[in-house]
Amino acid sequence: MAAPVLERADDAPEPGEARRVAQLDGSNLIRVGARPGLFRYIREIWSFRHFLYYDSHSRVSSANSYDSLGRVWMILNPILFGTAYFFVFGVLLQTGRGVDNFLGYLIIGVFTFRFFTTAVSGGANAIAGNQRVVQAFNFPRACLVISTTVRELFSSIPMFFVMALLVLTVGDTQLGDAADMPISLTWHWLLFFPCIALALMVMLGWSLALARAVNAHNDVKHLISFGTRILFYTSAVFFGTERWTNAGQDWLVTVMNLNPLFCVLDIIRHAWIYDGFADPARWIVLGSWAVGSVVVGFLIFWHGEESYGKER
Amino acid sequence: MSTSTPQAPRRNKNSDADLIAEDLAIEFDDRNGEPVDSWDDSPFTQQTPVVQPVDQKNICMVVDDASMTYRVRSGTDKHESSGRVSRVIKRITGSGWAEVPALSNLSFIVSRGESVGVIGTNGSGKSTLMKLLTGKVRPTSGEVYATSTPVMLGVNAALVKEISGRENIRLGCLAMGLSPEQTAAKYDQIVEISGLSDALEMPLKTYSSGMSSRLQFAIATSVDPDILLIDEALNTGDAQFRQRTKERLDEVRANAGAVFLVSHSLGTIKQMCTRVIWIEQGEMLADGDPQWVCSQYEEYTSHKSNGRKRAAQVVYERTRLQLDPVKIDFTSESRPKKAGSGRSR
Repeated sequence: MAAPVLERADDAPEPGEARRVAQLDGSNLIRVGARPGLFRYIREIWSFRHFLYYDSHSRVSSANSYDSLGRVWMILNPILFGTAYFFVFGVLLQTGRGVDNFLGYLIIGVFTFRFFTTAVSGGANAIAGNQRVVQAFNFPRACLVISTTVRELFSSIPMFFVMALLVLTVGDTQLGDAADMPISLTWHWLLFFPCIALALMVMLGWSLALARAVNAHNDVKHLISFGTRILFYTSAVFFGTERWTNAGQDWLVTVMNLNPLFCVLDIIRHAWIYDGFADPARWIVLGSWAVGSVVVGFLIFWHGEESYGKER
Repeated sequence: MSTSTPQAPRRNKNSDADLIAEDLAIEFDDRNGEPVDSWDDSPFTQQTPVVQPVDQKNICMVVDDASMTYRVRSGTDKHESSGRVSRVIKRITGSGWAEVPALSNLSFIVSRGESVGVIGTNGSGKSTLMKLLTGKVRPTSGEVYATSTPVMLGVNAALVKEISGRENIRLGCLAMGLSPEQTAAKYDQIVEISGLSDALEMPLKTYSSGMSSRLQFAIATSVDPDILLIDEALNTGDAQFRQRTKERLDEVRANAGAVFLVSHSLGTIKQMCTRVIWIEQGEMLADGDPQWVCSQYEEYTSHKSNGRKRAAQVVYERTRLQLDPVKIDFTSESRPKKAGSGRSR
């Protein structure tokens, strides 16, 4: 049997044993594939803004293109989930006891939670799931993550309309012994927009950091679905906040108050179904999360810019 | 043994140089088996390297001692890990790392106006070299420098499957950094080159592989890159498309500062290239005149395909003796650090 590597003789001239040295001035050259500096990187993203917009826009229209019902699923999905949760948590487990307008409460919780988690998990997969585009072009990779988040916002607009419509029509249905609090459209409803803007910043920051992690280690995907579950059970999506306070553990309340998703839900609920302002602390916590996530997430992502074209 | 430690020192037998080194008691560095003074490696046959200054105006691309070892996730036992603990971990998780050496210590300089053909048998490292040249992958050691970010024309990179051909054209142009106005201006030309005007409204997933590679080619050639890499892009499509391809390629090549061409068709290489690099088993085997390199390569592959291993090795050795490797040396801290732009013009 011959050795697999046959051609390599031991006494041939060693490769790399250069007999000539080329001396050159590299001041005109760039290092191919090098990561630009932070501000240069931001400028590059800006110069690719049309790509970013078009990418998110064109893919909204093509999402769900494999399903017969197509885009209807964007609305149908949270409605189905909402109905299921309503029967399990509202009717069977009665988690809504003591919550006024529980139906509206649950609708806002389920729809917004869904928006948040699909965007983050989609953004986390933006690099690993788009390797073909990454391999083919040289744009700054953060564009893909940003466009995924923007796309999620675009595609959620009909869903938010349905959510508002449902809250307005059936949100104040009397359930059990809850107080009668009719829901009406007031200017407080506009608080939804700055709140979602801050939520988007949190989502973008998390997506950026997770996109790098998922690209480096695919295992992170499993942790994301686990984290999504935990977030679901800790963000008061389907139960009233007194459950936390009644648990008698102060630290639990603190943890919940620091949860950005809970802040988002609480702000929207106060604005929409209780016609008022949420605790200003919610805005402060959410605002800090928003700024902090974007800055930290962006730095983490930018730092790994050279690693995204690598096959896994 | 040779497969499990791919980067083992090659100087493992008692070669002449080793014996001489022992006699002369030259100190060897234990880690890689090379003598500490590498220029003194074979003191009786070699001289100090000749230093040749290169004019920076002519340089398009510099590959400085680039090596690439892939570290990929692999569940197979083929590439056995070295440590005992990592073997156990691998058995439990069913997934482990495999190190695949792809290129080792490649150095060359490409000047403006050169068309460089890259040849080599399958798995020799051609595609890896292309990835390093476009900066998609950073070499494990060494670096690649260029005057601008090279652009690869491949047919493998598909676009977004769910959206239509028309949208893919726009998306592709914008992804190359063109403005919406430039994209609109290039649109007709792309449609014409691709020859797909009937299928533009269909989503890309309905396209045949030939159709999508035509679209990809048309989008990729819509810009005029300064450094151009072409990977097997010439041999796709039917005769009618091939003619169009050739015309457009000639145009792009004429505008480009330097061209790399990877192909298995030696005819194309001889016709288009002014210089050919032959890579075999991750190492540069020849670098020079297309006629000569191609004839060596033809001889080598014909011996190989007929199972004449000894004859193939003779060709290999003979070719390698002619190789004149170069070492890159940047004058007074001029080693480039800055990054290029992803935008094409």
